[in-house]
Amino acid sequence: MGERVVQNQMSLPVARGRSILTGLVLGSLVAGPYFLVLTALAILGRISGAEFVWWLLAGITIAGAVGAVTSKNVVHAALSLVVASMSIAGIFLLLASEFIALVQILVYGGGVAILLIFGLMMTNASDDPIVMDGSQKPFGFGVALVLGIVLVGAMSGAAWGGALETVAGFREIGTRLYRDYGVPFEVASLVLLVALVGAVTVARRDREEDAE
Amino acid sequence: MISLTHYLVLSAILFSLGFYGVLVRRSAILILISVELMLAAVSINFVAFASYVDTDLFSGIIFAIFVITIAAAEVGLALGIVLRTFRERASANVDEASTLKW
Repeated sequence: MGERVVQNQMSLPVARGRSILTGLVLGSLVAGPYFLVLTALAILGRISGAEFVWWLLAGITIAGAVGAVTSKNVVHAALSLVVASMSIAGIFLLLASEFIALVQILVYGGGVAILLIFGLMMTNASDDPIVMDGSQKPFGFGVALVLGIVLVGAMSGAAWGGALETVAGFREIGTRLYRDYGVPFEVASLVLLVALVGAVTVARRDREEDAE
Repeated sequence: MISLTHYLVLSAILFSLGFYGVLVRRSAILILISVELMLAAVSINFVAFASYVDTDLFSGIIFAIFVITIAAAEVGLALGIVLRTFRERASANVDEASTLKW
């Protein structure tokens, strides 16, 4: 029994180290040239500063999302989601809506990430953070690829909108939220309350279970 | 110049990646992470439309606030359900929660 535990503890760092190593190699192979090309283009004056930041943030977002959906280690997946969320907050800043960027950082970086990592630690992730994907992986990959091709094709063919214009400040957002969307705002607060009470009720141990 | 199309394509890619995660993952919490990615893609779309098209009313920003609120409520509730399932079956994998399967 004791030996098995020791073996488990011995085997985990090897797997963890391997996944970190492959992540580093892959990351440097893809991210290094990407960053170098971007920097060269920016220095040569081919792209503006805003475009440089946009492509950088888009790359980090996609990389974080790929890590979140492909990582074998659940903790790495949760932390990749945090990376993707933070760079999405940067993208909101580029869209000149700093309020949403701050909300994104507060809610995703503060609330959702902590909740997810707590959830991982309270399920089997604390014993074995390495998970296997389902058997429908090729099918799922095909369906998601088709969806992605259709969506990207539809979006890139669209010709909407002009240039980025106004900055919606805190005052304008607050006025609009409380004046025009007062009832939905209250409903949202009710939804939050019901969700939290429901989460406590569902996750609570019953008294009979405690007695056992 | 960064156009609206750039943001739409980025959010389409993010949405497909999240969809892939929902289809492929077995652990309920990892599926939750993928759903969060899809919701983030939707709010990128909303905010991009608010900044490029609907600059007078910026309804997209208001909708993105609601999307983020609902995402937070969803994570809290879903983690409660996952913890309950884990306590009943000692596993948080969705393919093992098949009691209703005929």
